[in-house]
Parts: sequence; C-alpha cells; structure tokens
Amino acid sequence: MAEPAAMSWRNPWVRGSVAVLIALTIAAMLVGFLWLPSAQADFSAQGLWASICRAAGVPSSWAPATDAARDARPVSTEVVLERSMARDGDKDAIGRGATLALNCTMCHGAHGMSGSDAPNLAGQYPEVVIKQMHDYKSGKRASPIMEQISKALSDRGIADLAAYYAYLPKARTAPTTYDETLPALVRVGDPMRNIAPCISCHGGVDQKFGTPWLEGMPSSYLVVQLQAFASGARRNDSQAQMRNMARAMTPLEIQELAAFYARKASEGERRP
Amino acid sequence: MLHARKLVLAHFWVAFVAFLGAIVLGAWQMYIRSPLSTWINNPEHYYRSVTAHGTVMAYVLPTLVAMGFGYAISELALKRPLVGLRWAWAGFGLVIGGTVLAAGAMAAGKASVLYTFYPPMIASPIYYFGVVLVVVGSWIWVALMSINLHAWRRENPGATVPLAMYGNLAGAYLWAWTSVGAAVEVLVLILPASLGLTDTINAGLARVLFSWTLHAIVYFWLMPAYIAFYTLFPRAIGGRLYSDTMGRVAFALFLVFSMPIGIHHLFADPQVGAGFKFVHAAMTAMVSIPTLLTVFTIVASAEIAGRLRGGRGTFGWIRALPWDRPMMLAVTFSFLMLGLGGAGGLVNMSYQLNETVHNTQWVTGHFHLIFGGAIVIMYFMVAYELWPQLARSAPLPAAWIRLQLWLWFIGMLVLSLPWHWVGLLGQPRRMAYFDYRHPALEPQAWTVTMSTFGGLILAVSAVLFVVILARAHRKPAEPAAFTFGAAAHPGLRPPFALNGFALWIAMMIGLSVVNYGYPIVQLALLKEASVPVIPIGSR
Repeated sequence: MAEPAAMSWRNPWVRGSVAVLIALTIAAMLVGFLWLPSAQADFSAQGLWASICRAAGVPSSWAPATDAARDARPVSTEVVLERSMARDGDKDAIGRGATLALNCTMCHGAHGMSGSDAPNLAGQYPEVVIKQMHDYKSGKRASPIMEQISKALSDRGIADLAAYYAYLPKARTAPTTYDETLPALVRVGDPMRNIAPCISCHGGVDQKFGTPWLEGMPSSYLVVQLQAFASGARRNDSQAQMRNMARAMTPLEIQELAAFYARKASEGERRP
Repeated sequence: MLHARKLVLAHFWVAFVAFLGAIVLGAWQMYIRSPLSTWINNPEHYYRSVTAHGTVMAYVLPTLVAMGFGYAISELALKRPLVGLRWAWAGFGLVIGGTVLAAGAMAAGKASVLYTFYPPMIASPIYYFGVVLVVVGSWIWVALMSINLHAWRRENPGATVPLAMYGNLAGAYLWAWTSVGAAVEVLVLILPASLGLTDTINAGLARVLFSWTLHAIVYFWLMPAYIAFYTLFPRAIGGRLYSDTMGRVAFALFLVFSMPIGIHHLFADPQVGAGFKFVHAAMTAMVSIPTLLTVFTIVASAEIAGRLRGGRGTFGWIRALPWDRPMMLAVTFSFLMLGLGGAGGLVNMSYQLNETVHNTQWVTGHFHLIFGGAIVIMYFMVAYELWPQLARSAPLPAAWIRLQLWLWFIGMLVLSLPWHWVGLLGQPRRMAYFDYRHPALEPQAWTVTMSTFGGLILAVSAVLFVVILARAHRKPAEPAAFTFGAAAHPGLRPPFALNGFALWIAMMIGLSVVNYGYPIVQLALLKEASVPVIPIGSR
C-alpha cells in the first residue's frame, strides 16, 4: 500500500472528502457567524463586522461604560485578595508585627486571645487580617477604634501584624468528625434557603481564601457580626456572601452558631 | 498463540479491579444522597468519592481496556508477536504508577476537584502528576500500535489491514491527538498553579483546552466497543459482517469528526463565541453518522446470521437469531442503550435544547447510559471473548454471563432513566444531598431511591463479572484458535484511502485548527481571563 498515492490529489477519495469537509465547514460558519447573529437585533446592531466579531467571541462592552458609571456603583471593599498575602512571614516580619501588636493587646489579648469579646487573632489566616485592616482603613468596615488604629499603620505594618498573628497558635482546632451533634447549619447548611454549610468556607471541609478561622471566637462577637451582615450595617464581604447567608438565618440560629463556634474556648492550642 | 498474554491479562485485571472499587463508590454515592439515608455530614467525602469514581471510570478503566485489547488485536489480527513488549510493560507501569499517585492524593482529600479538573479549583500536584503518567503510559501504547502496523506492512506490502487493527489504530491516533488538549492544560496551566509558581490561572482557556479532550475521549472509550461490534459479533452469532468497508468508513469518520466538536460542552461558557458554539454543534451532529452506519451494518450482519440459520420473511430472521449466546444479548442491550442515550445526546448537543438540561442530572444519565451502558457492556464481552486465550481456560459459563448482562442492562436503565426524568425537571447534578422535606422536591424523592437500587444491581453485576473471570483461572484448558469475524465478501479490497490513515489524520488536524485555533489563541492573549486559583484541601 503506497501512502503517497493515497494522499494524491488524483485520488478521488482525497478530492471528494476534503471538498465535502470544506463545504460543510463553510456552511456551518455561514450559519453560525452570519445568519444566526442577523436574527438578533442587539447582536447585529453595530454592523456586520461587529456581529461577526461577537460570534467569534471577541470581548466587547455591550453598552458604553464610562468611569462615571463605574464609580457610581457601590463598592463593598477595595481589597483584591491575592495569594501572596497568604505566604508565611519571615522572622523579621513576625518580630516587627509582634512589636506593633503591643498596641492591640488591650482588646485582643497578649497572645491574640481576647478576654474582652474582641475577636481572637491567634492563628488567624494572614490574608484575613490584611483585608480587614485595609477595609477599616478605607472606611469599608466601621469601628471607631479600629478605623483610627488602622490609619496609623502602613501597608507593610499591616502585613507584619498579619504575619505575627498567623504565627501564634490557634484558639481551637476544628473538630475531626462532623456528626449530628453539631448544628445542621454548620455541617450541611440549608439548601432550600441558600445557606451554605459554615464548614465549606470557614474550615472543616474547606477553607476559602480570605475567610476567617472561627473556632474559639467569642460568642457575642459572632452574634454582633452576623446581625450586622443581616441588617446590611456591615457589607465589606466582596460578593455579599455573608450578607446573603446571615439574612436567611433566624435570631435563634445565629445564637446557636455563635455558641457552637465559641464552645470551650481554650487559651490556645498548638498549630495543626 | 498470544505472546503478550500476560501483558494483556495484567491490563485487564488492573482495569477490572479498579472498576469494581469505583462501582462500589458509585453505589454508595447514590445511597448517601437518597431519602434512604440521612444527609452526609461532611459533603467533601461525597466529592472525594465522585472524583475517585470519575477518575477510575473515565481514565483508568477505558485506557487500560483499550491498551490491553489493542495489544491483543495487534497479535491476533496481524498474526505476529508484538514488537516492543518491554516498552509495553513500561507503559503499563506508568499507568499503574500514575493511578497509585492519583489515588493517594484523592484518598487524602487533596484532590476533590472532580475528574474534569475545573480550574480555578486546584488540587495537589501529585494528583496531576498521576494523571499525566497515565496519559504518557497510554502514549507508549499509541506508538507501539503504530510501530506494529508498520512492521506488518513491511512484511505484507500492499495487503489490506485487518479491520480490527484498522479500528484499533483509529482509536490510538484519535487518543494521541485528543489527549493533547488536557495534556497542555495540565502542563502549561494547572501544574504551574498547583506547584505554587503562579497565583492565577486562565480558567477560560483551561476549560476550552479540556473540551478539546473531553468529547473526543468518549470516542476513544467507544472504539473497543465498535471494534467488537464489527469483528467479534458476526463470528459469535455464526454470521458474516455485512460490509468491511462500512466499518472502515465509520472508523475514519470518527477520526475526523470526534475531535473538533468539544465546545458543545461549553454552551453555557461566556468566554466562547456563539458562532463557534454553533459550528461545534453542527459538527457534533456529524458524529451521529458513523454511529448510524454502524447500527445499520451490524443489524444487517445479524440478518445474514438469522437467514443462514433458517429465518424467513421480513422479521422471521430475528426469531432465528441465537438469543442464548451472550454476544447476541450484549449487542442487543448495547444498541438499545445506544439508541436511548444517543437520542438524549442529540438533546445535549443542540445549542438551544441544551439550555434545558445543562448541568442537570440528565447529563449524568446520558453518559452513564452511553458509556456505562452501551460501551462497558461491550468491554465485558471483549473480556469474555478473549478470556479463554488469556487465562488458557475452557469457555466461560454462558448462563452466568447472560445473568450478568441482564443485571447490567436492567441496573443501568433503573439507574439512568430516573436521572433523565428529574434532569428535565431541573435537578442539578453533583449534589451531595437534597432537602426532600421541601414540597417542591418531595415528589421527586422516589427517583433517587430508584437510582439507588439501579446502582445496587450494577454493583452485583460487576461482582458477578469479576467472579466469572476469576473462576476461569481455575479451569485450565487449551483454548481453540481465536478468529475475528469474516466479511460477507471476503477479499474485497477497500478503497486506497480506507487502508491508511494519512488522509483522515490530515483532515482531523485541519478541522481542529479551524474549529479551535481562534478561540484558543484569543483566550491565551486575553489578560482578563486569568483568575485567582482556589486550592482544594490545602488548609
């Protein structure tokens, strides 16, 4: 069997197959790029070439977007989370952070374990501290105390603080098994109310980037934050993910969740 | 006869043991989300199981079956010892090593990304290394199949390539080209992100590259089944193949059209233009042609057998067919499931109808019926047909095989028909649990219970399958010489183009470039398409 002969243009199979394939492709393209777009008024409003480009997937804005229009939209946070924020800080950064943290001990405790119902920061993920501090600084999250303190800190100061607190041992490790003794909202959420399980983001099943570690947090802090999300008083969650969760919860459920995460808060466990 | 006997046996045994494990996971998944069980407390365990079930069923089982069957075809059809036996063992080792690595990462919960990867979700690099090793091992098989064909051609200049080997090579070349998409996705986009070298990933491009592999891979799964239709079925029922050339046309058309159509998996993806979506939908319709040709040819072959056995009249030949033979039963079941699943597939590929069923349980029902049903039932038959050669055993017990086939057929329908129904009602796929207390969901709860029983029947059938194969090793006997089915007009020379692959491979590559070139280049150049990665199980 001589392959060159099989691949020669003199071979009617080659001529026929290639011609049919080309005809089929052209016909499909004519329908997909010309005929179907012409049936959609908005698709073809800017002329033939623009409609072909759209059919090909060239990105374009359907309405002229000016900066003014963009600025008018409410912005929940100006922090863009980047994975570089999650890297472990070096020793120098942790040391500088420890020095800066002396200013935080009044509320957040000498070792990041609060005795005054402020959130525990020990073992908190660094990107969480970085995001919240920047949100306080830009006024996207409200607190008379934290807004003032954050304004005094540079970007590097915030990163160092985050590195220091991430270095400290966590308040509690997550439970290793999830059974019916845990509140249902923690384990499985409530699909029909669009409430995702807490453990799918806050650790347990998975920890989503930028989501805080909650185990061992003071109960009253969690209640106040969930109520603030539910009422819309707090809205620095970039995709409204927490506002949507908290709005669907009853006051009793909020109490139950807060009590679960605050149970048996210890003085600090070893880092897992 | 079979020099590569141990090689083929090793491929099949690993494939079927993995299959047995994965089917237990599948049955558990159906139970845990049914009203028979309480909600799973850690949904991640469900997705871990889905990842393992999918990875084994979609990558490990079909790859090992295609490889093992390919080596056997090479020896049995070309009637010469396999060239490169050591390389084949090396390829097998890579597949096993890759499977073990991926299984370890999955079991540790570091790779619950589902078997379709879905960037920006990122698993442990060990999982991707495992998948890459499986693919590289299979590329060795592709090369060996090509080398063996060329060695045979040198010895038999001008001779017609046996149909089984022609289909085998079509599957191998198809796999070589289609696996390039996922290989590029994993090596260029996913692994750098998984290793921590980059923090963002071009998710749109990754999905387009995966679609390059995603659809054609099902035709790679399907090739062993089609080879069995054309070359094992006619002989097993005492007939002749109606047309050898038609088989070649079907294999060639699969080669050309199964590759450049994957964007029909991305109908809901905004990063791909509507024009390309339509072109891919139109080309997807073309792959129904080789399937329809095959159904026609195989039914015509059955008619030859029925009439040879004394069947008369328009339908009398159907009654005369040897219904007690497992192959007759298996091909009938396979065609019934192919017909139902294929009709469902036409809904999936239609640009507009897809909107109704996209990402619903309908899709799961579709590919279980087509792959798990129509194709895997033929994998069983391939194993049953080859087993006396491989295990040097007496013929396998037909009654047990018939029971196993019946269980598989019934189980698959009980499993997948309810999925189709609730898919139309909008049940999403890949849910770890449903809230059946809700008044809108309560009336659909019975469908999930029914699918659970379907899964159970399938698990029983799979155990039976493995038991039948294992017991054969206990009854050693010298098997009769193996033959493939003969054509109705033996010695008829097929057209030049249908004895080689050059034309079809050229058309396959050309059409791929036309259908995928622009979307890939455009997305690769688009900075906005990069999004932050989401590592799974890293904290």
